[in-house]
Amino acid sequence: MPSWSNFQPFIPIGLAAGGVYALSGVGMVVLYRATGVLNLAFGAIGAMGALIAWSMINTWHVPAGIAYVACILFGGVATLLYGMVFGRLLAARDPLVKAAATLGLALLMLGVMNRLWPAQVTRSITLPTDNTAFTFGDASVDWTQVIAVGFGVVMTVGTAIFLRVTKIGTAMRALADDREITATLGVPVRRVEAAAWFGSGLLAGAAGLLLADLVTLASDGLTFIVIFTLSAALIARLRSLTVTFVAAMVIGLVDNLITPINSITNFRDMTPFVLAIAALLFFSRERQYSFARGGIR
Amino acid sequence: MRKHFGWRVRIPVAMLVVAVGLTIAATGFSKTSGAHAVKAAGLACGLGTGQKATGTPIKIGAIAVKQAGTDFTDIPNMANAYFQCVNDNGGIYGHPIVQDLLTDQTDPGALAADAKQLIETDHVVGIAGSSDIIDCAVNSAYYKKMHFNVLEAGIAEQCYSSPAEAPVNMGPRYSADGATQTAIALHAKKIAFDQSNVPGTQYNLGGSKLIAKAAHVPIQFLTEDAANINGETAAEKEVQAAGPGGAVVLVFTPPVALQILQGAQHLGLENKVIWTCATPCNTDFLATALGSAWNHKLYVNAEMNLISQDNGPNSVLYQKVLKLYGSNVAGGIGSFSQFGFLLGQLAVKGLLSIKSKVYTPQTVNAAFKALKNFKTDFLCKPWYFGPLPNNTDFTVYPQDGKMVLVPKSGCLPISTVDPLVKQVRAYEKAHHV
Repeated sequence: MPSWSNFQPFIPIGLAAGGVYALSGVGMVVLYRATGVLNLAFGAIGAMGALIAWSMINTWHVPAGIAYVACILFGGVATLLYGMVFGRLLAARDPLVKAAATLGLALLMLGVMNRLWPAQVTRSITLPTDNTAFTFGDASVDWTQVIAVGFGVVMTVGTAIFLRVTKIGTAMRALADDREITATLGVPVRRVEAAAWFGSGLLAGAAGLLLADLVTLASDGLTFIVIFTLSAALIARLRSLTVTFVAAMVIGLVDNLITPINSITNFRDMTPFVLAIAALLFFSRERQYSFARGGIR
Repeated sequence: MRKHFGWRVRIPVAMLVVAVGLTIAATGFSKTSGAHAVKAAGLACGLGTGQKATGTPIKIGAIAVKQAGTDFTDIPNMANAYFQCVNDNGGIYGHPIVQDLLTDQTDPGALAADAKQLIETDHVVGIAGSSDIIDCAVNSAYYKKMHFNVLEAGIAEQCYSSPAEAPVNMGPRYSADGATQTAIALHAKKIAFDQSNVPGTQYNLGGSKLIAKAAHVPIQFLTEDAANINGETAAEKEVQAAGPGGAVVLVFTPPVALQILQGAQHLGLENKVIWTCATPCNTDFLATALGSAWNHKLYVNAEMNLISQDNGPNSVLYQKVLKLYGSNVAGGIGSFSQFGFLLGQLAVKGLLSIKSKVYTPQTVNAAFKALKNFKTDFLCKPWYFGPLPNNTDFTVYPQDGKMVLVPKSGCLPISTVDPLVKQVRAYEKAHHV
């Protein structure tokens, strides 16, 4: 069994990954609650934003700061466009159909990315915060990792406050409870949904940028990182932002902390599945889980 | 009645068009514009006549892996770039070469069908330019049965043991041997050997295991899911496995190796161990992305020469062909495209050697089998059709964004501790090749 000093370096890596999964998970849960859509294209949208930023920096020689903003905005605009066009067309369909449609978007975007940014080319995004690090115990911690964790915390708390105190946030919560009654009460449903699509997309873009730096700038890798996010959201039963955050951090930490254990390190990829299944089995002891928008019944 | 769309439809559609346009523009499509406008006359490709070949095409097949985390299509694409140059320079006595490329996702059933399709349905006359993780394992016996002698960039064990296969490269095993030898030469106390968890991992590490054992250096073997890798996690794991004074041997494609090395840099691990890598790391893309922080800190076993430091005729021609015809060679200058270029040259040399000028599977494969004494500045020694003709290579490291030869490193003979290398050296000595 590795010693404590072997585990220490993996703590900041796991926390940073967990922070970004939390950021993504919050965006996924908010969108689901406001629109009933489980966005499986979350990772693909972030991936394409990050690749566009890479091209802007390396092909157009645009200042990196502008490219990073473009990455985040791309996430918002692309998600909003999908929501305005397909979100409306699929509004009355079953949640499973809506989720499958976003999977279609993810695969389409993956194909486009593989065509425009072939995998053979070596690409990377390096944020300025990578170059400054400090030591904590036996672990080296860089400021991108700190930002990832901090961003996850801030967005979780900020979104929770936003949903509770703002008019549009209240409208989103009302939509989550009952779309028809909310519309009858005069709430501009489409505008509220558009805000949810756009806000969720901005988080996808931000997560894509951070993951491109922390994990990989590869279309496949970033697209399927949605599995970690989805697991956190499912553990939170697509309802609680706090549980999403905690689940994301646990997934990030566990995935990394088992790395130095030679006997199980090759099974690390199973972490999100195992944790999600364990959580769902635990929750289903008394109540039956449903994929329908109402969450638990 | 004509339907008019309102602003609710027009605006999103307009935004979509703008977004798609920006995406396409941002990817730099302009890089290929005008490339083919430049004529190839005067290039020493094949006959070098400057006349376009218009005769009956000669169909040459190839199979390459193309999947998440592993894409070797640059190799056949570069072979095809050379074929295009040959076609613009007289072809094979007036016959243009047409490449028939199939891609694989490590699916044995589909791969067996691919080989049959090439030979029995598409009726290719030869196979040159292939590079696939399991092609040799799945199809070597079939190629032998059909009397096809394949020119390829090998990966699997069977590429280096079948009489029907001749690789231009060493493949991951023998290149990793070279990286392990370098780590030992640099006095590593322990070695952590890390590679993708794709089929063939046990074969890849076999030589390094023997070499480390012979040198009394402990070695630990690790694997990663290349399609889903966290560079920082992998780097920390490797450094812990290597321990103080140890070395890490990386056997990955350039994008994955870059993720690990950048992860190591984020965590300040570049000075903690000796970093070595097999051939794929020999690319300026990697050196540029790593920057000066990695100057002289990553020793790369390079199966091909260093183009940036070599003005030899083959290196010059390779760069010109890549520029004029290699628009779909995504990785640009690097070992993979060098493999492809050399495979193209060998295929053309074989085809041009057929005195009857009749191009059938029988004549073409006999010509491929007879290839020998092919001198090129890409390799330390002349190439011949055999199981491991390339067994002596170079060592490079990054310096200010470029790969450079390690001073005084010369040509590194891969250790004869690895049994096949010992056999091959004995064969070369006996046959004077």
